[in-house]
Amino acid sequence: MFRKLYLLYGALVLSTAAFGQYRGWSLDTINQLKNVPKSVRDNPGSYRSVYGFYHHYTGGK
Amino acid sequence: MSASTPPLSGPTKPQAKALNCPKCGAAIVLRSFGQAETVVCASCHSILDAKDPNLAILQQFEIKTSDIKPLIPLGTRGKLRDTDYEVIGFQRRSTQVDGTTYSWREYVLFNPYKGLRYLTEYNGHWNDISICKVLPTVDHNMFGGSSLTANYLGETYKHFQTADANTDFVLGEFPWQVRVDEKATVTDYVHPPRVLSSEKLDKEVTWSIGEYMYGREIWDAFRLPGTPPEAMGVYENQPSPVTTNVTGMWVAFAAFAMLLLALMAGFDMRANKKPVFGQTYRYNRADSKAETSFVTDVFELTGRTSTVQVKTYAPVSNHWIYLNYALINQDTGQAWDFGREVSYYYGYDSDGSWSEGKQNDEVVLPSVPPGHYYLRIEPEADPSLAAIPYTVDVTHDVPVFGIYGIAFLALLVPVVIISFRSYTFERSRWSESDHPPMQLSSSSGDDE
Repeated sequence: MFRKLYLLYGALVLSTAAFGQYRGWSLDTINQLKNVPKSVRDNPGSYRSVYGFYHHYTGGK
Repeated sequence: MSASTPPLSGPTKPQAKALNCPKCGAAIVLRSFGQAETVVCASCHSILDAKDPNLAILQQFEIKTSDIKPLIPLGTRGKLRDTDYEVIGFQRRSTQVDGTTYSWREYVLFNPYKGLRYLTEYNGHWNDISICKVLPTVDHNMFGGSSLTANYLGETYKHFQTADANTDFVLGEFPWQVRVDEKATVTDYVHPPRVLSSEKLDKEVTWSIGEYMYGREIWDAFRLPGTPPEAMGVYENQPSPVTTNVTGMWVAFAAFAMLLLALMAGFDMRANKKPVFGQTYRYNRADSKAETSFVTDVFELTGRTSTVQVKTYAPVSNHWIYLNYALINQDTGQAWDFGREVSYYYGYDSDGSWSEGKQNDEVVLPSVPPGHYYLRIEPEADPSLAAIPYTVDVTHDVPVFGIYGIAFLALLVPVVIISFRSYTFERSRWSESDHPPMQLSSSSGDDE
């Protein structure tokens, strides 16, 4: 019973891994935007990154 | 099925034979149609010879405790394994292990066509017992003591326990010459859900085979009121709740891990890992008052939708540099916005040398369709840095090994959980045996 379920589950895990790899999934979290104006190419300052106010690490031990 | 076996409860009920106890005169009911060797008077607790027409007194005993009552009253009828049975006898037996008394109850069941059968109950664990039809074979232990295995009908049973069982209390009819305070050596071999038992009394050995039953099944079979006593602990032949072959699960896991490895190798070989952009830039603090953001040249991603890896290298030393990135599709306006910090710190303190961070960083963007792209980069840096170079490399279609890591864990966790549950259950089972797990491990390492 458990073994049959596990075989199904394992097949699902492998299929998901293969599909994810094929579709180019990533583990990094990236913010996606649509319709960025074409003017950015000529005027990069017209675009502001959502990560622009990142609080930088200034430490060390 | 017992289609040929007429049920006990029908229009023509078998009649019990009514007699009187020669000691106290109380009514004695014989239900087993001459199969009983002894019958016990419920009133004065005389054990009587059931084969004797005058019911000769064989033994008389006193009840040591007043709370010995059968959970299934004598005379109760029920259907067990598709056959009707009537409870005709009850006894309580006990054994002493390390000064602790363990007692259990045994019930004698009778069907005029099928004969006798037994039920045992210990701490809410039940067993359906019948006498072996074939003599089991025992693998004798060459070092003496108890045999380690026994074979019955092609199945191997492991030795569980050998103990002296004392008969404390009897009631009803018995197909043998029962006596109170009679001692027999009982040896149990288990192959869950079955238990193979030998009972040695003087020179006579009786073998029986039992199968574990749940209290609910007994209650349903005999239509008993209320609920059965809750099963406590793990019994010697109780089936494990993990009803699967754990070794088989590990074999399946190994097969899946091999497939995963093959998948990883296949996708790694198939991946283009094509460098599409690479450039070194220089950050100057003097320029930071003006607009620092800029865009790269346009590069093309070809083929199918896939990953894009952006690598950043900067020779920082106790500094940081931070880059706001946006990968922008020139044609569609779709963008992937992300920020990456490169920082590397090191030093010495009372614990010795230390370091953290590194001079390079990489990030993988998911599912980027083919097209023409450029990067918008906006650098920031440690205020103490006057200038620093940094290199940006973009590679298309790289494999993400973390996916395999997650898949590996997803495959491993269920097997580990099932193995752990099975291990703890079996450990509880065998801790009550003559071969507790601790003793097994210490004896195996006792070579000196």
